[in-house]
Parts: sequence; C-alpha cells; structure tokens
Amino acid sequence: MKGRRRLSGTTIQYLEGLLFISPWLIGFMFFMAFPLGYSLYMSFHNVEILATGIKTSFEGWNHYKFILFTSGGILYNDLIPFLIQSLMMLPVIIVFSLMIAIVLNQRFVGRGFFRGVFFLPVIFASGQLVQEFLSQGEGKLNFLDQYNISGIIAENLPKTLAAPIVSIMDSFVLVLWYSGVQILIFLAGRQTISGSVYEAARIDGANPWEVFWKITLPAMTPFIMLNLIYTVVDLFTFPTNPILTKVNTSNYGQSSALAWIYFTIIFLLLGLIFLLFKRVTSSRKTSA
Amino acid sequence: MERTDITVNPNHHPARRKGLRLRRIKHIIVGKEADKGLLYRLFIYFILITVTYIYLKPVFYMVSSMLKNEADLIDPAVNWVPRTVYFGILQDAWDILHFPKAFSLSLMVSLSVACLQTCSCAVAGYAFARLRIPFKKTLFFLLLLSFIVPPQVTILPNLIFAGKLDLIRTYIPIMLPALFGHGFKGAVFVIIYRQFFANQPKELEEAAKIDGASVFRIFYRVMLPLAKPAILVVFLFSFVWTWNDFYLPSMYLTGSENMPLSLSISIANSTIQQRIAMEGPSIFDEPLKMASSFLSILPPLILYMFAQRWFVEGVERTGLVE
Repeated sequence: MKGRRRLSGTTIQYLEGLLFISPWLIGFMFFMAFPLGYSLYMSFHNVEILATGIKTSFEGWNHYKFILFTSGGILYNDLIPFLIQSLMMLPVIIVFSLMIAIVLNQRFVGRGFFRGVFFLPVIFASGQLVQEFLSQGEGKLNFLDQYNISGIIAENLPKTLAAPIVSIMDSFVLVLWYSGVQILIFLAGRQTISGSVYEAARIDGANPWEVFWKITLPAMTPFIMLNLIYTVVDLFTFPTNPILTKVNTSNYGQSSALAWIYFTIIFLLLGLIFLLFKRVTSSRKTSA
Repeated sequence: MERTDITVNPNHHPARRKGLRLRRIKHIIVGKEADKGLLYRLFIYFILITVTYIYLKPVFYMVSSMLKNEADLIDPAVNWVPRTVYFGILQDAWDILHFPKAFSLSLMVSLSVACLQTCSCAVAGYAFARLRIPFKKTLFFLLLLSFIVPPQVTILPNLIFAGKLDLIRTYIPIMLPALFGHGFKGAVFVIIYRQFFANQPKELEEAAKIDGASVFRIFYRVMLPLAKPAILVVFLFSFVWTWNDFYLPSMYLTGSENMPLSLSISIANSTIQQRIAMEGPSIFDEPLKMASSFLSILPPLILYMFAQRWFVEGVERTGLVE
C-alpha cells in the first residue's frame, strides 16, 4: 500500500516535470533535432529545390571529399587563418576578462561607472558594428603603430614566435570587444567565493599574489572552463566569421557538408577543453 | 599583482625612527593592505581608463564625425568637437535607413522575442533545475547540444521548411522558436534560469508544498517572483542580441520590404558603396556610415543606460553559472 502510494507519487512528479519540459522538448524536436538530422541527410545528397518540391539524389561522401581534398579554397583559405586567430584570441580573452573581473570586484572610486562601461560590449558588439570599426582601422591600438612595436617584435624575435604576437596585437581591440559576457561570467563567479576565505588568508599573512594563485584561481577554474566553452562557441558562431557566409543556399548539399565539417571542428575543440579540465580538476583532487 | 617585486622589509632599517617613516611611506605607496596601495591603485586606474577609452572611442567617434559639416570635415584642426553642430548627415542616415519603419520592426521583433524567451526559457529552466523528469541527464545533454550547434548547421533545413510553409520574408521563423524556449541563443537563457532556480533553497518549495500549493502555483507564485534578477538579465540579453542579430534576418528576410535595423545598416552601406562606385567618393560617406551605425545602436544603448544598474546587480545575484 505504502509502496504503491510512493510510486504513484513519483509518477505524478514525473508527469509534472514532463508538463514543464514539454514545450522546450517539442521546440527541440522541431527547431533542433529535425533540422540537424535533415542537414546531415542533405550533406550526403545533391539537393535541388524545384517548384514542385525537393529533389534529392544520393552523393555519399562526395561533398565531404570535395571540400576536404579537392577544393582547398572553400575550407582552408578561410578556415585555417580564422582558426589560428581564434585559438590565439582565446587565452587572451580569458586572461583579460579574468583580470578585469577581479579588478571590477574591488572597491574603488568610480566603480559603478567602470562597470557600466565594461559591459558595453555586451550591448553593441554586434557583428555589423564591430566589422565597421575594424574597417575603420579601430581594431588596432594606435600607439603600437606609432612606435612601430610590431616591427620591433618582428625584428627581434624568431619568426614563428613573432607572427602570432603581432597578429594578436593587431586585433587586440577585437579581443577587448569580445570579452563582455566573459567578464560578466567571471564577475558572477568571483561572487561565489566568500569574503571570509580571503579574510582568513590575510590573517595568515598571505600576500595578494599567493591569495590569487591559491584561492581565487582554483575557485575560478570551473568558470574558466565555462568561459572557454562560451568563447569558443561565440567566436565560431559570430556572424562575421568567414565560414558562415559560405553556408548559403546556392548548393544545399555542399553547404550542409561544410556546416557539418565546421561543427565537427568546434565539437573537437570543445572536447579537448573538457578533457583538459577533467585532468586539471582530477589532479587537484588527488593532490589535495 | 605587480606589487610583489617591491618587498621592503622594515627590519632591515637600522634606525628605528627612520624605519617607521619609511614604513609609512611604503604604506602610502604599496599599501597597508595588499590592494590599497597607491601604486596598485594607479595601475588599476591605468588599465581601467585605457580600456574605457578603447570602448568609448568608437561611440565618440561616431557622434563626432556625424555632427560635422563640410567645412569641419575638411579642416584638420577640427578633431573631435565640431565648430558647428550639423544635423544634415543624421537626417540623411535617417532617410537611407528608413529609420521609422526599420526601428519599429526591430522593436517589434526584439520585444516579442525577448518576452517569449523570458517566459518560455524560465519554464524550461525551472524544470531542469527543480523538477523530476525522466531522462533528465539526456535532456540536459540535448540542451548543451543546442547551445553549441552553430546556427549555420540548422539554417538550411529551417529555410526549406519555412519556404514550404510559405513563411519566408516573414518574421515568424525568427519568433516561433522563442515561444518554445529556443531561438537565438535560447539555450543560454535556459541555462541561466536553471542556474538561478537551482540555487534557491529547497525549504521554500517544501513550505509551499505543505501549504498545498501545486507545481504551477509554486512556480508562478513562489519561484518566479524571486527570479527578478534572472528575468531582467535574460530579457536584456535577449532583447539586445535579437536587436543586433543580422544573420537570421539576412537568411529569412532577403528581398523583403520589411527590414529590421540590423539589416538596414548593411543595405545602407551597400547603397553608399554603390554611390561611391557611380559618382566617386564623397567626404560624407564615412560620416553617413557612422550616423547610420549610431542610429542603430542608440535604442539598446538607451535601454542599457536605464537598466544598467539592475543589470549588473542582477548578473551577480543570479550567480549566472556555477
């Protein structure tokens, strides 16, 4: 009797849960699962949109082969430089936003004003506008040009080291513009560390350098991971990215294949981040 | 951080009084407490002001260049502040954007998407955070999946279906997913809500349950009123991101008469480009682009100015993600 009642209790709870989740689930079916499946299907087919309907003919891996091996231009010319740039921007965005979040968390005169300003990118880092600034040459820091710092670096460092540094500096403003949400996430993360931990550390005589490495950074690791994921997704789905414009309606099959290749790359990158963090957190657990 | 290299040990000073004075100076420069020294302060303000300058410069640049008249534009002595304020360019941008129409369309879409997402994502987030659902882990994985799938993977099938249903060049394909807790960055909002609701104390729910409240009542009467910071954050994000987004409109609305502002800018830019090709460059091209950009970010900027304080607080109180 008791068992049956408890069982029916869970059933009711399940039903309630289902009721709440069903709009989202239905939406997922219609706007995610089905389009995903269909786009995978299209990537293996030749698709023609006719007035009478959609005509598909099986192509196998041909679209993939074409993009990956035959025609380098579609993927490699744009993707590789974009990928390299993004990968280099990633750590800079993370470090910069972490630093800013820690600073903004402190008490100082004008804090409200600076906070307001630092979230501005969230408001208008829209693709179009950022693009506009970049074409204006606003992407560079002017003083770098003024003192020819890129030139100095290129001369004094080995080429393999200098090239990425120069390219990061050239797009440094872009890094700042892309850090809005990341600062927010870190700031919210910083709030989860209670003040008493810091107080205890201070009484024990820890200096701020130690406090940062021993308290702040470990507590922020999950947020760093979250930010990495967010930044990867954000950078790679940004409307100005060169691959996005290649996914168009001129050739449905091939565009779908390109989209899937692109998605696979993002997925692998995220997988790598996950793996990395799993190792970091597990090594901390064993050492502690 | 940069303070570590200045470690002055007071015991090293032979004369005690001198040492005391030195220590006082040190306190002023480096600070008694780690983060209160003058040097550190200067460093912080240096960074803050530099970055603020970088963030605000484009806005100032836009405003300044669009308010200059011909003479001011040519005169190299006029750098930031124009001698006379000239509204002609702004007027041109207004016309070239079809501002009133584009503005009201953008407002209509952003407002409805934001309202829909604010409500529907709250329901989904609540379910993920506090209710028992079969296969919850799988569903949560699907939620994360819908976060990382780039829109370009699903856009082509969606376009085909929208075409089949005769919804191309309407706003319905953009607004409909929002009704179901999806749409542009919908997964992010569900995750934000989930995080917020998961952080609420269990006792709240239990107390309401003992009072005989149903799930709907608990959600609507207890949880939702508490979720104000999350609601504000989601609404503002949703509104601004939809406002700025031009990818989805450019896919669904090409060739339509009814362009939102985000699309109108690129149309206006290509119009300007065409004019340059036909009639040669004019000194007003750049200011015109600036003016149209400014007009398009002005509404979210104003909204942000009003909501900023609650927004920042809200982000902190939601504990956004943990």
